Amino acid sequence: MFNQSSLGTFGSTSTPSTANPMKDFEVVQPPDDSVSSLAFSPSTLPQNFLIAGSWDNNVRCWEIEQNGTSVPKSMQSCGGPVLDVAWSDDGTKVFMAGCDKQAKMWDLASNQVVQVAMHDAPIKTCHWIKAPNYSCLMTGSWDKTLKFWDTRSPTPMMSINLPERCYCADVDFPMAVVGTAGKQIIVYQLEGKPQEYKKLDSPLKYQHRCVAIFRDKKKSPTGYALGSVEGRVAIQYVNPANPKDNFTFKCHRSNGTPNGYQDIYAVNDIAFHPVHGTLATVGADGSFSFWDKDARTKLKPSELMEQPISRCAFNHNGQIFAYAVSYDWSKGHEFYNTQKKNYIFLRPCYDELKPRTSS
Amino acid sequence: MGRKKKKLSKPWCWYCNREFEDEKILIQHQKAKHFKCHICHKKLYTGPGLSIHCMQVHKETIDKVPNSLPNRSNIDIEIYGMEGIPPNDLREHERQKQGSRPANDSGSDEDEPATKRPKPEGLLGNAPGAMPGVPGMVPGMMPPPGMPPGMSMGPMMQMGPMGPHFMHPGMPMMPPHMQQMMSGQSGPPKPLFPSAVPTSSPNGPTPPVVGADFKPISSATISAPPTTNTPGPSSDSSKVPTIATTGAASKIIHPPEDISLEEIRARNPKYSRNLPSKSDDNSSSSSSVTAAEQLAIATSVAQHQVAAAAAAVAVAQHHKQQQDAMNHHNAAVAAAMMHHHHQQQQQHQRGFPVRMGGPPLGMMAAQMRPHQMLPGPPQLIGGPLMRPPPIGMPPGMIGVPPGMVYGAPMFPAGPVLMQPRFR
Repeated sequence: MFNQSSLGTFGSTSTPSTANPMKDFEVVQPPDDSVSSLAFSPSTLPQNFLIAGSWDNNVRCWEIEQNGTSVPKSMQSCGGPVLDVAWSDDGTKVFMAGCDKQAKMWDLASNQVVQVAMHDAPIKTCHWIKAPNYSCLMTGSWDKTLKFWDTRSPTPMMSINLPERCYCADVDFPMAVVGTAGKQIIVYQLEGKPQEYKKLDSPLKYQHRCVAIFRDKKKSPTGYALGSVEGRVAIQYVNPANPKDNFTFKCHRSNGTPNGYQDIYAVNDIAFHPVHGTLATVGADGSFSFWDKDARTKLKPSELMEQPISRCAFNHNGQIFAYAVSYDWSKGHEFYNTQKKNYIFLRPCYDELKPRTSS
Repeated sequence: MGRKKKKLSKPWCWYCNREFEDEKILIQHQKAKHFKCHICHKKLYTGPGLSIHCMQVHKETIDKVPNSLPNRSNIDIEIYGMEGIPPNDLREHERQKQGSRPANDSGSDEDEPATKRPKPEGLLGNAPGAMPGVPGMVPGMMPPPGMPPGMSMGPMMQMGPMGPHFMHPGMPMMPPHMQQMMSGQSGPPKPLFPSAVPTSSPNGPTPPVVGADFKPISSATISAPPTTNTPGPSSDSSKVPTIATTGAASKIIHPPEDISLEEIRARNPKYSRNLPSKSDDNSSSSSSVTAAEQLAIATSVAQHQVAAAAAAVAVAQHHKQQQDAMNHHNAAVAAAMMHHHHQQQQQHQRGFPVRMGGPPLGMMAAQMRPHQMLPGPPQLIGGPLMRPPPIGMPPGMIGVPPGMVYGAPMFPAGPVLMQPRFR
């Protein structure tokens, strides 16, 4: 449906085994270019819908059925490469933002798209905020602003200046975290209205690349995991009871020193399991790993894919782990091969992400 | 073992001056470090033993004890643990220890970790020591009972007065009582991040802590002082920072420039080509449209009209969806009417709703090829947002879940929030 002419005949059966070393379900009719963003529909919808934004300017939507098959549903285009996508809390809308400096709202029911946000530079992140007293779209841009948009007004409800370009962000009401260039981290609290809560020194020595908020045992957001280009993730509590609660760990590095030195890859994305509170990281090395941050152990490593894993996502009840195998530019344009197919794989993950028990 | 000086000094190794807790460990150390054959790795018991072993078994001469200090490398002295150490050296060592012990318990200039370095306990990570305390076990935590964050609080759903509250700062619209109402409505003590309760309660309804005036919490008392770490406005385009590789033994797989991969990638002509002009953020306003863009727009409009015609044919075949085609037509006409003030924009709009209006799925591939994209998508933001009249089943989603039917309320608190419109 998306691509009848070019790759339409490329079914999951013809996928070479080297491309799918974990033998997971392959999403049919994947994007034509790298996957920049992935998101599952919220729990307000009975089915699972997966949306993916791509460097081919399009956002695609599939329905993921219980048996692992994916059914292409629809597609929308943006005026440039898409950098982030998000769902509204009720699952009726999809937001997409990207290099055309705009964010758009896609009403799935009517299939209408309207522009809802505008920046002076490409928009790197978009997140839907559902507060008791307001709802808005938060966009973070390379124009060093964070803006909040009522979707019916051409002007932002609020604009917050960032110290640097926005590189990554996450929202879990009432917390928002933004990681910027220059290794800065700003935590916002969203209750009442968004406002800066804390500006923090980075626990990492290298460029921030991804951030994900985690919750405590009572399911309230309490901290975040921050990934850098230097194969390292920092687990940070906003208000740590004990300074030792914060720690970093290494990941996505080559084993041993094959060329005389160890290759260290960027952490491209982090996602927390919605039920277990464990996390997944994906990296430019082409692997994903599951971790238990409380036991400080790795639960499962994956085999290496043929290409980097650019993004990942859990569905709302934590049964499905989706990861996108596509080039992330980590080796520059020289290593960009348009002939390589982009994949999105789906993995039943509920048991693999169970925390390590003491028994 | 008669000569062990228990009273003062620990057993130490004559060959390398290292101290040990126990003579057994000293002997293990000597066998591993000083009496091991470098050829077959057999551990011998003394220096002369090693020498004889090498001579007899490997036909090699050993003239120095391996890993020994320069003046202690004599292979012919028979030392086993603390036994056999020349009395002079023993006294000398004793004297040095006596002198330095009060100041430094573990021997001054010798490398002698008496005990091995403590290993990090966690398998994961480099944080020293213990497991983290159970996160979130902070006293005083009070999440709203049984309510996942992000859910609206029941009574707060219909909060009319809250609308104006969330507002561009500086709008002088809020009567003071509203703030009180606000804080009153916040209900039970509901902290910002519940686990942060003991230290801070920025927005909470308890005035003594911070007050309901939304003062930034960083000015309140927090356990850790807010760190404003601005290493200056980095990357002021004059000097591009680079990613320094950690060391000789590792290599970070990343382009040397210290900007995000996406920024590097977006510069690639493949991706920047079709973007709206970089001149300003208002690129799609008609005044700034260049001639080239006009041409491009005209071309793409023509393409879209072709596509629209194709769509119309296909739609006609699916007679069930004819209604939708009508719908789109209406939307297109309406959109055109609304922008009649400028012909070019009108053109824009005429092509636009066909694309946006959700043709039957089968047609999407034909219409949505990226290369047919409008170079600068028309900006609808200025005008009223268009929606088609709610007729029949939406064309976009086939298996539309019940909750997704068009016309479902967009914002639960919509009607109320709608009132204030900030410009």
